[in-house]
Amino acid sequence: MILESEIMERTLKVSNQLGLHARVATMMVQAMQNYSCQVTLVKDGVEVDARSVLGLLLLAATPGSELLVRAHGPDSRQAIQEISRLIQDEDPEEG
Amino acid sequence: MKTPKKVDKKKSRTPPRVNENDTNRLMRGIGVSGGVGIGQAVVIERLTTEICPKRILSPEEVPHEISRFEGAVEAAAERIKSIKKHIGPHHPLGDHAYILDTHILLLKDKMFYEGTKKAINAERQNAEWAVSEIMMRITSAFDTIEDEYLKERARDIHFVGERVLRVLMGISTESKIHQLPPNSIIVSHDLSPADTAQIKRECVLGFAIDMGGRTSHTAIMARSLKIPAITGLESISRQVQTGDTIVIDGSTGVVIVNPDPDMIFRYRERQELYKKYQQSLMAYGQLPAVTRDGSRSVRISANIELVDEMEIARSHGAEGIGLFRTEYLFLGRPDLPSEEEQFEVYRQILKGNAPNPVTIRTLDIGGDKIAISVSTSQETNPAMGLRAIRLCLNRTDIFRTQLRAILRAAVYGDCRLLIPMVSCLTELVTTKQLLEEVKRELGSDGIPFARQLKIGILVEVPSAVAIADLLAKEVDFFSIGTNDLIQYSLAIDRVNEHVNYLYDTLHPAILRLIRQVVSAGQAGGIPVSMCGEMAGDPVNIPILLGLGIDELSMNALAIPMVKKLIRAISMDECRELTWQAFQMYEAREIHGLLESWITERFPKDYFIDQS
Repeated sequence: MILESEIMERTLKVSNQLGLHARVATMMVQAMQNYSCQVTLVKDGVEVDARSVLGLLLLAATPGSELLVRAHGPDSRQAIQEISRLIQDEDPEEG
Repeated sequence: MKTPKKVDKKKSRTPPRVNENDTNRLMRGIGVSGGVGIGQAVVIERLTTEICPKRILSPEEVPHEISRFEGAVEAAAERIKSIKKHIGPHHPLGDHAYILDTHILLLKDKMFYEGTKKAINAERQNAEWAVSEIMMRITSAFDTIEDEYLKERARDIHFVGERVLRVLMGISTESKIHQLPPNSIIVSHDLSPADTAQIKRECVLGFAIDMGGRTSHTAIMARSLKIPAITGLESISRQVQTGDTIVIDGSTGVVIVNPDPDMIFRYRERQELYKKYQQSLMAYGQLPAVTRDGSRSVRISANIELVDEMEIARSHGAEGIGLFRTEYLFLGRPDLPSEEEQFEVYRQILKGNAPNPVTIRTLDIGGDKIAISVSTSQETNPAMGLRAIRLCLNRTDIFRTQLRAILRAAVYGDCRLLIPMVSCLTELVTTKQLLEEVKRELGSDGIPFARQLKIGILVEVPSAVAIADLLAKEVDFFSIGTNDLIQYSLAIDRVNEHVNYLYDTLHPAILRLIRQVVSAGQAGGIPVSMCGEMAGDPVNIPILLGLGIDELSMNALAIPMVKKLIRAISMDECRELTWQAFQMYEAREIHGLLESWITERFPKDYFIDQS
């Protein structure tokens, strides 16, 4: 049972060169197979599963767009870090 | 080979003109990978969802149908995995092979996989029907995306869905692409990355594809394999049958179906020439563009829009960037590029080209294309609407940011600022005032910037030509943008198929307009360059030199040929041809003049277009 308090959120700016394109989306879905938490990405009110390539592509997250990453489950923190590495080419500040 | 005397007076320089009957049927697409291929068509058929069987299931059939679908997905995934295994790391798809991983994930993607099962379950659609419905739904969701690259990914779900359909319908998943005979020209509506990954290079002489443009998978692949390719042919896959002999010319985008022996002979020659020529041509890129008599030297530069293109420009012999288009920075994103982001791009271009000059064109686009709140989508005639400098002066916040970034980057090289679509003096004066304000801001902020920035206008609106003498007093240079100048002055929408036959670079009116701009530039003591397509077409060179253009900026790939030509001609020759052209009344006469001249003077180069 996951408690409400265990939901982690972080806002990230897509800063890699091409944005959340096919290659990054593919890498993200592949990477998320190693985590057990639920992870979604939200942009402009649309929430998609970080394990769906189609969902990620349809976010149309081009460079400069802001994404909210929302995760709940035991390894949320690590999953969010992994995602931020993929879309920012670097680790963001903790926050 | 065609002798110069037989040259058709119409625009027939390349390719040879053909009758549109059964032999020599001509089709035109976009040449995306150069060279000539002559071979037998192999039509790779693609399924369309229309041919799927559709029926409503009885409730008891549903579980079986769902497991049939699941099985088909498994089989499709296995197939893609085995293709992936076979291509290995040194395959020309190389880095691009990740797309096969994407396809494997798409097969099991919730939207597709669960969506289809849900449709089978709830709507009681048979699996084929459900798959095609879901494919359509997903594809149409992609239609709303602005970003061109992301939009194209709709095709990936299509390829994946089709693979599943093939399994469901018991159609061999092995397209003919697996067992091509030698000398094949692949003809298809579209090719999936999995298809192209299986191609045996030695059997394929060319691609002729209905869909796509320069950035499609097929185009990228063909260029890296150095196989001639044409995309955007629209219906060739329906018009051609496997076994038909076809000729494709990837330099010009021309396909000839069922060529007669004479036509084949001509293209064999063209093919040979192309090969030898490619080998010999590159050397010219590194030489200066000085006429044979030594009396005139012209700067040859490249038109680019990405930092990555600098290398191609350099290797083909560009002496700087005559047109750096900045639109790419603004397109397909939800926000505007920041000053820092722009600065970084401009800095890289300027630094990478120093000491050669870089001409940066400020935003040349309509408001409908970028992320701003000015809604211009209601314009009935956007070409004449709120765009380019008009938009920039309407939205000075955007313009200021760009000017700040350019001024700061200009410290790193020889920067020139080019203002597009100027139609009156006020626009220029306002722009210069704004530039001064921005300089003051930067100065008081203590940020380094270039105090002396050369400013020029893109002469592309007929009114700017008419007042070129007045404008010349206010700017440091002119650059003639022929593509728009021709559209605006001949009142022709180039993409309107009913009138685009009237679009003509060598219209006597266009030559006179150019002459007027050059004279105004010379009287005002400023250089005049040209950056439209006209500048990169070798046939126009003698006239452009004869008229006194100082710099030609073009697609980098055209540079070696243009340099070769300039080095072989004399200014007397240019002046004589220019004089003759100005005696002529019609564009086709001028085409005839220049075509005869170029075939006579450069018989070996005649059939070779830049590609």
